[in-house]
Amino acid sequence: MIPLLLNDTAMAVSLGALSKKYPLQAVSGSHTRYLGGEFWALKDISLSIPQGHILGILGRNGSGKTTLLNVVAGIVPPTKGKVVTKGKVLGLFNLGIGFQDELSGRENIFLNGSIIGAGKTELENALSAIIDFSELGDFIDMPLGSYSQGMRLRLGFSIIAHLDFEVLVIDEILTVGDILFQNKCFQRLIEFKHSGKTLLITTQSMDLLERLCDTVALLEHGCLLFHGEAEKAVNHYYALLNAKKFFVGLPKENVRMVETTKKWADNRSEWGLRLGTKEAEIHSLSLYNKFGLLCKRIRSGQPLKLRVNFSVNTIIKDPHFGIAIFRKDGVYCYGPNTLFDGHKIPELKKGKGWFSLHYKKLWLAPGEYVLSVAIWDKYETVAFDYHCGYYTLLVTGADNRDNKLLDVKAKYKLSRKKYRPYTFIKKSDARAIMPFLSDASVHKQQYAGIEIQSFLLSHPSGQKKGIFITNQPVMFRITISTHLLEEKGRDIWFGIFREDGIYCHGISFAIENDTRITLVYPQLPLLPGKYGVSIGLSNKKTRRPFLHFPGIHSFCMTFDKHDHGTVYLEHSWAWKMA
Amino acid sequence: MVAILQEIFSRRNLLYELVMRDLKIRYARKSMGFLWTFLMPFATVITFYVIFCQILKVKIGEAPFFLYLMSGVFSWRFFHDSVAAATTCLTDNKKLVQEPAFPHYFIPLAITLANVINFLPSLFITVVISLFVSRGNVIFIFSLPFIICIHVCLTAGVAVIFSILYVRWRNVKYVVELFLFEAFYATPVFYSIYLIKATFPDIFFKIFLCNPFTGILNLYRIALLRGFYDMTKNDLSIFSLIIGPLVFTIGILILGYMLYERHKTIINDYLSG
Repeated sequence: MIPLLLNDTAMAVSLGALSKKYPLQAVSGSHTRYLGGEFWALKDISLSIPQGHILGILGRNGSGKTTLLNVVAGIVPPTKGKVVTKGKVLGLFNLGIGFQDELSGRENIFLNGSIIGAGKTELENALSAIIDFSELGDFIDMPLGSYSQGMRLRLGFSIIAHLDFEVLVIDEILTVGDILFQNKCFQRLIEFKHSGKTLLITTQSMDLLERLCDTVALLEHGCLLFHGEAEKAVNHYYALLNAKKFFVGLPKENVRMVETTKKWADNRSEWGLRLGTKEAEIHSLSLYNKFGLLCKRIRSGQPLKLRVNFSVNTIIKDPHFGIAIFRKDGVYCYGPNTLFDGHKIPELKKGKGWFSLHYKKLWLAPGEYVLSVAIWDKYETVAFDYHCGYYTLLVTGADNRDNKLLDVKAKYKLSRKKYRPYTFIKKSDARAIMPFLSDASVHKQQYAGIEIQSFLLSHPSGQKKGIFITNQPVMFRITISTHLLEEKGRDIWFGIFREDGIYCHGISFAIENDTRITLVYPQLPLLPGKYGVSIGLSNKKTRRPFLHFPGIHSFCMTFDKHDHGTVYLEHSWAWKMA
Repeated sequence: MVAILQEIFSRRNLLYELVMRDLKIRYARKSMGFLWTFLMPFATVITFYVIFCQILKVKIGEAPFFLYLMSGVFSWRFFHDSVAAATTCLTDNKKLVQEPAFPHYFIPLAITLANVINFLPSLFITVVISLFVSRGNVIFIFSLPFIICIHVCLTAGVAVIFSILYVRWRNVKYVVELFLFEAFYATPVFYSIYLIKATFPDIFFKIFLCNPFTGILNLYRIALLRGFYDMTKNDLSIFSLIIGPLVFTIGILILGYMLYERHKTIINDYLSG
């Protein structure tokens, strides 16, 4: 594993590859039964919060926010990974934790305070300040059972606010009080921040997050999707919510983050057929290049516009348009439709019309492709007209003999490192990670002691991850043990394979005697699914590969949108009835 | 073990608040307040007296039946109430205990301590009555603090064990009910040990005396009932009376400690699950 800087003294809270598992239990009657399954509430979360910072945690219900706070506060232990906190951690969780309804507010201050760990004298000294801050007045001597939710919050917050701590964890409560009290809390939190306390808060109030937090972490299904500026996190969150909302009511697989997509054509024998109910008819498909001129072929990486002319015979409610691209061998490249993209077309009237799909950059590698065009009903179950694999698209460009799918650009950086005794990635491990990449033709060879020393996948900010969102930046860092790599003139080849072995993308460049290769994709446009990475070294002159590491690492892509295919291409739709 | 004692000492304020919480909840906003402490035990004593002395005509030679009952019922009730209340205490106080670094065993411990505080006044009354009513050597009364100490340790140990087990296995509640029910009848609360000796073979009587609750109850009686020791010293050696419960108590405390050490990190997992 990658060592984390857990002993960094500037960090008040450091989480290293933190995971939390709960056993799945079913409740029948008064008995709790173990279901045999397990539920990962948190998956591999690494975060660090500098002292004096406020971290907001954002995510839908059940995304792991509270579990994360619980683990940070030390209430539940992590299953894997490490939590390092500096100083005393206090938690302000669901209202009423540590409160006793039968006791008065004053008595509860002492009870709650001593549970939190305050001494009697500390509490006695702070008592009047706590009561003042809570603005409860005479209610302080009434039993807590008679308090409203807001009053409980005020008391709970007031106690916390007057005790000593280094790290404070607050769970979704600040929105309970009225505006005046909220402002007071807000001010108090800012005061904490200025006095060097570290805060972790969860809230559903985006406004509060943006005003208060230095950074915001976005959680989804226990994974850390994003950690950074509040505004960006909130935008990500809204995107996530919208994508979900759109799929409410559709099959269950759509409710979650999309984890895999369709990767092959349904039936290649149907290519060239026109199917459908013919309530609408597709007449023609034309391709336009970046100058808006009609064309037959397109250069890889150039904009492409596809325009479809159709006519409608009866009124059609809620139709959807779709255009899918397949490679000649049936690999499903990309199949966007207006349904997935969230467009709503109320109805098509009788008559002629057109729709168009505009790709900003067609990243497909040179080769021959096949297009399907369809007009679907509301749920993509009945096609009004479906031209299956009817059109061909020729993509030109550089030589693509190795038959990759994608020609996306990447930046790379080379650097040298001093010799370090190398640690082997064991052969058996590599197999276990990517069993599907048993590339039979080339076997991994031990050549003159060259080994991949470490392999790191991360967000460019340095966050180590194993799951990425489609079209988000990804960084690969490869370190090669190199003391024997003195001979000059080597090429390194870096390839990404799909789970079933389809070669998605590859890049190769000279490395001289550099040992550390950093490869950054500003956007990795791979659709949800499992992918694996292979690395090869070849002689620059002879171009003969002499070393191959198949499937040394695997990673997953997820997406907040439903899509078909393997690669994601930025696009936009337009349509019009004549 | 030492760490536990240190923790209890350093967070004695928390323990105090928890005990006070228990007492306050019990008596807050109830008419007659503290009087309830006496009412229930005395009602039990009177009921037992009517049933066993008047109707069933149980004969007890060691002491007046009323005093014999009081000494047994009060101390048994203390044990029974503590264990019964402590079994579900962690789940009942889920909201309370899910705080950072909260020592979970404080809750059953606090319940035991609150119950001993409830138990003391009725014990005091028993002491006063026995001083006037019965005759015999009064010296044993000074062993009372020691006996109470063992009794509290034993009760707290059992309470902690059951409370932790209940968090994991909710069936434990029924086991505890059964256990308390059987233990009540296996302990000479309302009958004389000589009835057992007379009815069953000698070996059974020896086993019966091994019951640590019998031992503790007899210790109470030696302390409270003047003349009890003189009457029973031929059958009960004072060493078997003391060593039995003492060894059992230490065993229970060690077991409770080991159980807590194994579960302290995962209790909250089970509570929130």
